[in-house]
Amino acid sequence: MKYCDKCHVEVRTNQPYCPLCHQVLKGESELARMEVYPEYVPPIRTVRALTKKAVLFVTVVSIITLLIVNLTDFDGRLWSLIPIGAILYVFVIIRLGILSRHNIAFKLAILTTILIAILNVIDQEYTAEAYRGWALDYVTPLSLLACNIAISVIILIKRINYRDYLFYLLTIVVFSLVPPVLCLFDVIRIDWPSLAAFGLAGGILLGIIFFFPKSIKAEIKKRFHL
Amino acid sequence: MAHGKVPSANDWFRLDNAAKIFPAISTERETNTFRVQIEMTEDVDKDFLQLAVDAALERYPMFKVRLKSGLFWNYLDYNQRPFTVRPLTHKVCGPLDPRDNNGYLFQIYYRARLIVLEMFHSLADGGGAFALIKTIVYEYLTLKGCRVTPDNMILTRDSLPTKEEYEDSNLTYYDPQNHRHVKEERAFLVKGTPIEDGNIGLISGTISTAEMIALARNHQASVTEYLTALLMYIIYLTQIKYREHLKENQKPVKIFVPVNLRKHFPSNTLRNFANFVKSGMVMNRADITFDEILEETKKQFAFGLQPKELIRKMSENVSFEKNFFLRITPYFLKKFALRIGYKKMGLLLNTLSFSNLGKIDFPESMEPYIDNVSVAVYSGRFNTINIGTSSFRDKFRITFTRSIVETTIEREFFRHFTEKGIHVTIESNYVEEY
Repeated sequence: MKYCDKCHVEVRTNQPYCPLCHQVLKGESELARMEVYPEYVPPIRTVRALTKKAVLFVTVVSIITLLIVNLTDFDGRLWSLIPIGAILYVFVIIRLGILSRHNIAFKLAILTTILIAILNVIDQEYTAEAYRGWALDYVTPLSLLACNIAISVIILIKRINYRDYLFYLLTIVVFSLVPPVLCLFDVIRIDWPSLAAFGLAGGILLGIIFFFPKSIKAEIKKRFHL
Repeated sequence: MAHGKVPSANDWFRLDNAAKIFPAISTERETNTFRVQIEMTEDVDKDFLQLAVDAALERYPMFKVRLKSGLFWNYLDYNQRPFTVRPLTHKVCGPLDPRDNNGYLFQIYYRARLIVLEMFHSLADGGGAFALIKTIVYEYLTLKGCRVTPDNMILTRDSLPTKEEYEDSNLTYYDPQNHRHVKEERAFLVKGTPIEDGNIGLISGTISTAEMIALARNHQASVTEYLTALLMYIIYLTQIKYREHLKENQKPVKIFVPVNLRKHFPSNTLRNFANFVKSGMVMNRADITFDEILEETKKQFAFGLQPKELIRKMSENVSFEKNFFLRITPYFLKKFALRIGYKKMGLLLNTLSFSNLGKIDFPESMEPYIDNVSVAVYSGRFNTINIGTSSFRDKFRITFTRSIVETTIEREFFRHFTEKGIHVTIESNYVEEY
């Protein structure tokens, strides 16, 4: 034990000075004794953190470049928004889909939702009149269908954690029930992709209700409690 | 079979009234974690400690959880993944990364003779944390082959978890008629040079419990009152005196002292059930004495500790939580409201917080294996210094944590005791060496 003759306190350390007044301490170090608290270990700079920065940098620089090119030669159309949308989507895929540690069903559900949103915007804003509607007719129902299949397969394979995925499956299932409604109002003109998505979603929904009634009830209760 | 109810994956818990705010407002700097540390008399064996924690978690299903987000509120969901004990690092009350350590909201560290529990405040308060660590130490000693008995002071696997332990007692005891909001002035804040990388400095001093009590009794005060007044006096001496006319020094120095409501209401909950009293004073004169502050502190404590006043403060929080519009706001929006509200109504209203956990009791059979017990609270951007105290037998430990480099307050605080001839032993994590 060392002693500070300025503060008149005993100090349990092998450090040379007093933590209170920074005066040099009296007494011998007991080197056999460990310091009470551990030494500083600098944080390890991980590849993940560096990749995050690099991706953000490349994204921002390419968006600025695209905007500048678009504006220097401006003819009334903001065509750069299409590649910018695509770049942002790639950014989201890398950040949320690859680098984040969210569970896989969440990743699939959120990426599918964003993809549908972006493609629908491109469809409505940038497609010639005659071809407009492809995103609603085909992309929306079919990507929901694919997402439903993917999450269901994951649940079947990784059965232990199925509760973690159930909520996201249910969200996509609910989304899949929308396209047939749009069919009824003639917003969607091609019926079969929507009906296929609806059929699968309905099947999954019944499956959840028949086989996991308690889990799904509990899950809804948890997620929506006020 | 004498084992408790087997926790099942269907278990989930609402956050209690106090816990609801912490996930929204916690950041890398404002971590809202606290530390409970037990120094054993012998080196800790990490394998036995791991087994002891696994055993203890069987008794505490409400700590075997992780935080999940819902549409309106977060909740605690049963965590089926394993918990691992870790060697102590230099981080004091650092942020608990939900993706780290399988999503548990607490960590158990070991180092030489130390067993350290760091807990996120959403999970429980000091009362809950001490219950958990006592069980862990009990299980640990049992595994080591020591002859220890729980003496009804420790929850062991011989008893079942009860509903009472999970209850949010704030909701039980609140009074919808008595929830008036009292407007408060912003407090004087201790400024300093921030420690790099958000590290926290820790300095703790050990003095004799008997001498501490005698000192307080000499002034006809409780230990908490005495130390609160002393802290205010030291802040006055080191931060304000000779500058008392300056504009920023007109704000009152306010000490936030948590009150364990289990001592005031018949509750056995393990979750947050604490409130506070505050002692505040504008230090704008050149001739303020310690005795004057102590008298003022005693008055404010007597007022703040009245059951009516405690219920009012509790009900104020509960009625805020029960606000219909707040409840139906989706969580991602609610988060911003909570953040702004907490900064304005929580953080900036206190100079520092001083948590006196008081006397920590262990069964007599366990006492020979334990050397001392201490508690520490995180320090952040505004409350740059916080203090936690606890006593075990004749060791009264006062732990300062700080987010600034300066140690003037600690130095003058401990010199106050040495000048009276009281022996002080100091420990530090030597954050200035980082």
